[in-house]
Amino acid sequence: MQVFEVFRREREGGPMQHAGNLLAPDPELAAHYAREFYGRRQESVRLWIVPRAAIRDLDDPDLLQPPFDRSFKKPAGYSTEIKRKLAEARERAGEEVEQG
Amino acid sequence: MTTQAAERLDRRAREALADLLLAMADDEFVLGFWDSEWTGIAPVLEEDVAFASLAQDEIGHAQALYRLLVDLEGRGDPDEVAFGRRPEEYRHARLLDHPRTDWAFSVARRFLYDTADAARLDALVASAFEPLAGLVAKMRREETYHLLHMHAWMERLANGGDEPRSRLVHALERLWPDARCVLAGVDDAPLVAAGVLAEPLAAVEQRWLDGLAPVFERLALPFPTVAPPAGGCRGPRRSDDFLWLWGQFTMVYRSDPGATW
Repeated sequence: MQVFEVFRREREGGPMQHAGNLLAPDPELAAHYAREFYGRRQESVRLWIVPRAAIRDLDDPDLLQPPFDRSFKKPAGYSTEIKRKLAEARERAGEEVEQG
Repeated sequence: MTTQAAERLDRRAREALADLLLAMADDEFVLGFWDSEWTGIAPVLEEDVAFASLAQDEIGHAQALYRLLVDLEGRGDPDEVAFGRRPEEYRHARLLDHPRTDWAFSVARRFLYDTADAARLDALVASAFEPLAGLVAKMRREETYHLLHMHAWMERLANGGDEPRSRLVHALERLWPDARCVLAGVDDAPLVAAGVLAEPLAAVEQRWLDGLAPVFERLALPFPTVAPPAGGCRGPRRSDDFLWLWGQFTMVYRSDPGATW
């Protein structure tokens, strides 16, 4: 028996999302069981059935959680920082206008 | 719609149609109950869910067929037909008189039934009785998956080593004569004459056997040389096993007939 991970699409145009997993002796029965677990109530329009062994697993913290502040690599970090700088610049500019 | 379609049939065709609907409904109903007995004890959890789901599908088909029968006759209630009869009034094929037995036996029985039923549905999908044609079209879509699943299991048991194979062979030897009853025991001539059924049941059975022959040859499994039973293909005499099952599936209904659940 091997583990298969199942992904499902709920409606046309939607993303494939992880649904869960199951045990089966081979891909053919895995497809049947996936249909039973994640499709028999008409809750899916497509399933992907993937042997877990085919998945490359990556959880190395050196690769995924670097020790330095990397907030500038995050869109959110960038946008909040730029907003703060913009607000500061506007304030300065406003003061200059008043003085002039 | 059912009434209008029924009015186009003569009395003999209508009676034969009522018996065909009852026979098909009882086949699906009794098989559904036998196979639901695997709930909780199937070989693996995944198969437990799958087999119970297949059994539920059959009960659903039975419900639709009982409904059609009640509409055709213009009286009665599907629950009453399903649960309110004496054992000798059921019209299922003798194949469904056997108990669940072991896993290979249940797989072999379901495979024989599903393939025979598929041949029967093929002969009904263009039925002149349109309400049945419509229902059969829906049933066939669901049976596609049943057939895939049962073929998968037949292969695995046939090629799964000594014990699974010998259990499967033994089951088939016991089941073959009664399997021939699925496409028998109904007065088919008036149905063919009225265009309700595309061809006589004997022709449907030949098509079924012709389709199975290459599968059984490839898997080196026993194929019937025995003739079907001469009579009693669809009752009224029933096995003790069926009498027990009848007692189980009518127990709640009999406790308070006519109650609203």
